[in-house]
Amino acid sequence: MILALHPALRADWLVLRRTGWAASAVLGTPALLLACCVAIACGDLYGGYGWCLAAGALLALGGSHAIAHARMLGTIERWRFGWCGALPTARGAMTWTLSVLTTAVLIVSLAFIIALLLAVSWHAPHHADLPYALAGMGLGVIIGTAIALVRVSRASVGRVAHADGIREPLLVLPWLNDRRLPHLVDWQRRAALVKWRRGGSFVLAAVVLAGVPDGPSIPVVVALVLLVLAWAWLAVVMRASADSTRAVMDLLGATPLDVHCARAASLRYPFVAALCALVPMIAGTLLTGRGIVALAWVACALAVSVWPLFRMLRVTTRPEPPV
Amino acid sequence: MPLLRATDLRVAYGDTQVLDGVDLEIGRGEFVALIGPNGAGKTTLLRAIVGLVSLMGGVVKLAGHDLAATPRAAKAVAGFAIDPASLPALLTGRESLALVAGARGLAAIPPPTLALGETLSLTPVLDRRIDSYSLGMRQKLGILLGLLGDPPLLLLDEPFNGLDPRSALAFKAHLAAMVARGDTSVLLATHSLDVAERYASSIVLLLEGQVRRIWRSDEITALREHPERSLEQAMAEACGN
Repeated sequence: MILALHPALRADWLVLRRTGWAASAVLGTPALLLACCVAIACGDLYGGYGWCLAAGALLALGGSHAIAHARMLGTIERWRFGWCGALPTARGAMTWTLSVLTTAVLIVSLAFIIALLLAVSWHAPHHADLPYALAGMGLGVIIGTAIALVRVSRASVGRVAHADGIREPLLVLPWLNDRRLPHLVDWQRRAALVKWRRGGSFVLAAVVLAGVPDGPSIPVVVALVLLVLAWAWLAVVMRASADSTRAVMDLLGATPLDVHCARAASLRYPFVAALCALVPMIAGTLLTGRGIVALAWVACALAVSVWPLFRMLRVTTRPEPPV
Repeated sequence: MPLLRATDLRVAYGDTQVLDGVDLEIGRGEFVALIGPNGAGKTTLLRAIVGLVSLMGGVVKLAGHDLAATPRAAKAVAGFAIDPASLPALLTGRESLALVAGARGLAAIPPPTLALGETLSLTPVLDRRIDSYSLGMRQKLGILLGLLGDPPLLLLDEPFNGLDPRSALAFKAHLAAMVARGDTSVLLATHSLDVAERYASSIVLLLEGQVRRIWRSDEITALREHPERSLEQAMAEACGN
């Protein structure tokens, strides 16, 4: 028996065709993650496949699971509670459609891995290790995505995103709240929490782990964990703050809001978050024992993370109203 | 000086002309109903008046302040009820009230706003997150956000959607009382012709982005008193069918 696909898929496909593949929520981030996995694999092909198989496969498994789980959860929420939530759908259509989509994404992703690995490692001394690298990456991605599919299919999905952000902070900092725009900080913090719990910025973790040398010592592992966590968290905070600021500017578009106040208020939380993230980043840098190189690396990471701040500044100085 | 003077407003979404030379003037203490079929441009007109859409042409002046030249002074004059779908799901009702109060330069949520919340039975849920609100609760909160700080001009877009009859009645009475005091004017976009006929001091029919017809106070009174005439009938005639 051939199961019917979910009716929302046709609409999604039409939107996708109109907005282009670049905007695809399905393929974008996994492709990036896999590119990072490839970077690891290629880097370690020079040193042998042992590390590549272990770290690469684990990273592919964890990363693909985190990303696939977040994407599927978002898709299911949209299908259940969006405009198509009340459409009559065949029993099992949602799971079946997700499975079909996931398989398609997996095939494309794995083809992407293979093509990239072949292109990059063609002249590598350990070219013969390529099948092992492919096996590690591929197996990791397949298992990670499959686990995510099973988890999502079994979960009774509610409005998880908003429920996630409900937790109050352990440490309340009253001075963080700008009295000219009260609770903007709460909005930004809750949005960051939602993003973090939905998979965060695992791509960034992959990029950091790409720099892991063959057979790292314990201090280096600790340093990398500190760097990865701090960087991934900071990236999430910055993106969430930028999104919240855009939303608040839209919400308050009809009010006599002072844009200078809005800018100052919206920068408070990300600024303090950046300061907090710097502590583990500096500690991690010192532990790596690589001095200037590591410091430059952290500076680059910071620069990439704070990029959404520019979007925030642009939003808070926007001369034209949205159309 | 009128509270609102909109002259030759033109707005387009892509190739679609939504407002095509709209002129509108509202004085103090007026209750103006904006009616028209779907897609006539009612919501866009309200959004254009508070600067939420870019104008392709025309001028909006609020209490004499040009919206383009002095947006803060102009926007201080108007209160725009926020669309329920645009409310911040991650905040509580009270937090969102405080946020908008801050944006309007108020130190705290004004007691009259909280009193209206009590009248609309919103107080028990004010400390709950907005994502748990029903449509009616969101509508009430959107109204409270628009009324924060008692702006002289209120812009309301279908504010009775989703309201229970008791709350709708209480809110209509509140609006009528504010207008009767003469310190507030209302521009209400609505499909509820009975509300327009009963409460409005003038009614503006918008059709295909243009003002097709304006009924003044005496004409509305005549419509109310005529046993065989109604605004519905008059609107159908003005629309040409």
